[in-house]
Amino acid sequence: MSNIVTTEIFTSFQDYLHSEQNIREEIRQIVKEIEKNAREILTVLQVIHQENSAQEISSSCYKARQLFEEVQSNYTKLSEVVPTGQYYRFNDHWKYVTQRLCFLAALTVFLEVGILVSISTVAEILGVSTNSSEFHLDLEDYLMGLLQLCSELARFAVNAVTSGDYERPMQISKFVGELNAGFRLLNLKNDSLRKRFDALKYEVKKIEEVVYDLSIRGLKPDYSSKTNIQEKGTE
Amino acid sequence: MSASRGHKNGNYNKYKKDHSKLSIGDKRKELEEHVDENNKVIQMFRQYTLELDAKHDRYERIVKLSRDITIESKRIIFLLHNAATDIDKKKEQIYNEADLRLNQLIEKNFKLLSIELHGQDPYLYLRAYTAGLQEFIEALLYYQFLRYGSIEPWKNLITKFQYSISNSDNHNDDKTNTEVCMTVPPMEFFLGLGDFTGELLRKCINSLGSGNIEECFQICNYVKDIYTGFLRINCSGYKDLGRKVYVLKQSLQKMEYACYTIQVRGSEIPRHMLATVVNTVTNPDVGHEEDEGFY
Repeated sequence: MSNIVTTEIFTSFQDYLHSEQNIREEIRQIVKEIEKNAREILTVLQVIHQENSAQEISSSCYKARQLFEEVQSNYTKLSEVVPTGQYYRFNDHWKYVTQRLCFLAALTVFLEVGILVSISTVAEILGVSTNSSEFHLDLEDYLMGLLQLCSELARFAVNAVTSGDYERPMQISKFVGELNAGFRLLNLKNDSLRKRFDALKYEVKKIEEVVYDLSIRGLKPDYSSKTNIQEKGTE
Repeated sequence: MSASRGHKNGNYNKYKKDHSKLSIGDKRKELEEHVDENNKVIQMFRQYTLELDAKHDRYERIVKLSRDITIESKRIIFLLHNAATDIDKKKEQIYNEADLRLNQLIEKNFKLLSIELHGQDPYLYLRAYTAGLQEFIEALLYYQFLRYGSIEPWKNLITKFQYSISNSDNHNDDKTNTEVCMTVPPMEFFLGLGDFTGELLRKCINSLGSGNIEECFQICNYVKDIYTGFLRINCSGYKDLGRKVYVLKQSLQKMEYACYTIQVRGSEIPRHMLATVVNTVTNPDVGHEEDEGFY
């Protein structure tokens, strides 16, 4: 008799698992597409590290914006597949690619207007809701993206100097400095975000070194003009 | 000497001064020390801090609630193990107490938990309360099994976790009740079910000790059914579940071996000795891997 009961219990569970796996499979397919978009955007934006790319930056930002439109439609698809109120049940699938896209969106905005993008703007760029009861952008994923942005900017600072752009490291230094101050306000738990944040100081250091190198050689834009005057004065 | 020191100091200061003129670290330091509240970035991060703190705090509160549930559930299981007496009156008394305490958990602890989870995505906090929930399910199933000889399916469980909470503390206002429901993913139920078979193993060996051989076979068959049920399920991709099934298989084999021993050697050993024999036979390869201290 008990056999019938247990069979019934397990059959319904099997059905449950089966339908869950179907959803996961669908999600995986869409996430694969989004990952592809993210790689394309990353490739497009890599132009910043090329020599003498200053003119191309705005056009690659434009390209990135176009690719973000594809991302938007993919996220819309994703939000239709994920049942409402169960965002975090399947969150693992798109977590990493979302972090990466946050980074890319933040980089695009930085290149365009030089400011730190807010979470709501990123959500808009990705085409997801800002309301946490719907398919939204997780705050920690966004913050993770910002930290990724910092390491990319550290590299950018070095390469900008190579191509003779001495303004850029100053802008990056200020930007990352502010970001660092912001992150210090957060009460982080001992989690992955915390670990990633701990790496930020090395990136800050790297950027400062670049600025330092420029400064002592009088290559720092505003500073060099000042010293020129001073030098003239003493002469 | 003092002169040289003074000289050194002077030099040091000079360098420092020079350095500070050139240093760009100052700017950052300034940013850190005097947080500029008008700065847009800072304002943004103030907002994020609030959000992040709210989430962490809620998580911690849920962990606390879950821990209380775990402890109480373990105690109930321990209590139920004591119900293995022949005196019906005492048995009944223990069952009633267990029932009362289980209901208290539902009425009090789980209610608090579901209020905490209300309006949130429960899956975000699932890791915080999964331990307590599984332990509770284990206790509940064990109680149901002892008292009624069978367990209720998952569907019945979720009906227990429905509460209505009055929105207003003010008694004069007409109360608008919100229906709050505790989310129990079926997975949690089956993980609890896996743990429950561990209790059955204990029960099986204990009943052997008290000479209740009939019950021993009965429990063994019941666990066989459960194991067969688990075999029907594809565990790939669910690590926790796979582990539980593995442990279940081991427990089942222990019980099967105990039953075998009774059958083969039952006639030659006096009843009260059986338990020792079975224990010495099953325990060496078992080791002491019991997860909980209640034996």
